[in-house]
Amino acid sequence: MAARGAARGQLIAVDGGGAGLIAAARTLTTALRKEREGSGVSAWDSSGIFTELTAVEEIPGPSARTLTLLYAADLAFRLRWQIRPALDAGLSVVAAPYVETAKALAIGAGLPRKWVQEVFRFAPKPDSCYHVVNRGPRGNAAKVDYVDCFVNAMASGDQAIDAGQLRKQSVAYLTALEKNGRCRRFK
Amino acid sequence: MGERDLQRWRELLKRREASRGLLVAFEGPDGSGKTTQRKLFKQWLKSEGVPVTTTKWNSSPLIKPLVKVRKQVRALSPEEFCFLHAADFRHRIETEVLPALLQGTSVVADRYLFTALARDAARGLPFDWLLNVYSPILWPDVVFYFAVSPDTSGMRIAATREPKYYEAGQDITGLDDAHASYKQFITRVIREYQGLALVFRFVTIDAERSINEQHREIREHYQQLQRRPWLDWNVETIADWLAHSATWRLEARRGVS
Repeated sequence: MAARGAARGQLIAVDGGGAGLIAAARTLTTALRKEREGSGVSAWDSSGIFTELTAVEEIPGPSARTLTLLYAADLAFRLRWQIRPALDAGLSVVAAPYVETAKALAIGAGLPRKWVQEVFRFAPKPDSCYHVVNRGPRGNAAKVDYVDCFVNAMASGDQAIDAGQLRKQSVAYLTALEKNGRCRRFK
Repeated sequence: MGERDLQRWRELLKRREASRGLLVAFEGPDGSGKTTQRKLFKQWLKSEGVPVTTTKWNSSPLIKPLVKVRKQVRALSPEEFCFLHAADFRHRIETEVLPALLQGTSVVADRYLFTALARDAARGLPFDWLLNVYSPILWPDVVFYFAVSPDTSGMRIAATREPKYYEAGQDITGLDDAHASYKQFITRVIREYQGLALVFRFVTIDAERSINEQHREIREHYQQLQRRPWLDWNVETIADWLAHSATWRLEARRGVS
């Protein structure tokens, strides 16, 4: 429930991938907590959808479109149970990742830009957005993030997609956002 | 997608048109008897020597377990509900429906896209946004809509069981009484279906009549069905899928060379 009279908190999006994403989220949260105790991080797969998405050999893997819809489902969960309640209570939330990571990969995988933009229309615009440069896949499989999940699914399925190319294109999308002033590079 | 690629997919579809299976969708509210009719229809197609398979709503082996758990704990918002069903639908279209149709097997869908449009719109989600979420859309060759009143639907369900939480729309109505909620929710769903039936030219079956009468009418419609070439109305959807499939990309190249 929203505290009566409390100012709405800030929604800060951190997009990109790799270990840098988590580090950036921690840094930003620490800074936010100095202003208001209780601010926190909303992380990918908080709903557990991707953890439960067990790979069974006989079942064909998800396509780029299906993965995008599943990301949106996870985000809908995060918005309902984490992000909106916190903002309404006057707390700030670092969403790491938010919508641009999913858009970057979906568009990089060849899905129509208009379709992707429309799918994520339900998500509120963040107050600020940062881009963390993905330095490539991390070694620890237990800590795989959405970028790794997406790239692995594309590379192993019947998708005819080059994983290296996909990473390059998704970085190009996020870099273009920076150039257009729609997000800032996190340093 | 480049023009050359598109040309390849067009040629592949042209080659497959005569032998492709037909996609037949059975739609209607709960308790309208569509599953009974779907089974009778499938049995009849088989007896006519038509290779046929069924795809059921929310049945993708990859996604169904995710939805089941979330329904049990009643944790779904309308958007999450929509996205999970859309993912399930997309996965079945790409891995079951399209491969079957291209290989010459007809597909009978026990609920199709219109179930999602009717239910999600009844949950207050914008129609244009829903159509986009489900795009690109593979339009069926024919949609049979089993029309019943909200009262009939409610009575048929109540005769056998209590409606489940989401089936009754209790997430939207906020009512504790599942039957009362169901009546309110199904009235909205049926209103959406009626609009869809007009816009998308469903074949409406009066599902308050006897099982045999309905089955005869379905057979008659099916026998008179004019096959419309995919190239005229479904090419974008199929090309989108083919373009992302390594298997079919090879198939198209073989056809061209």
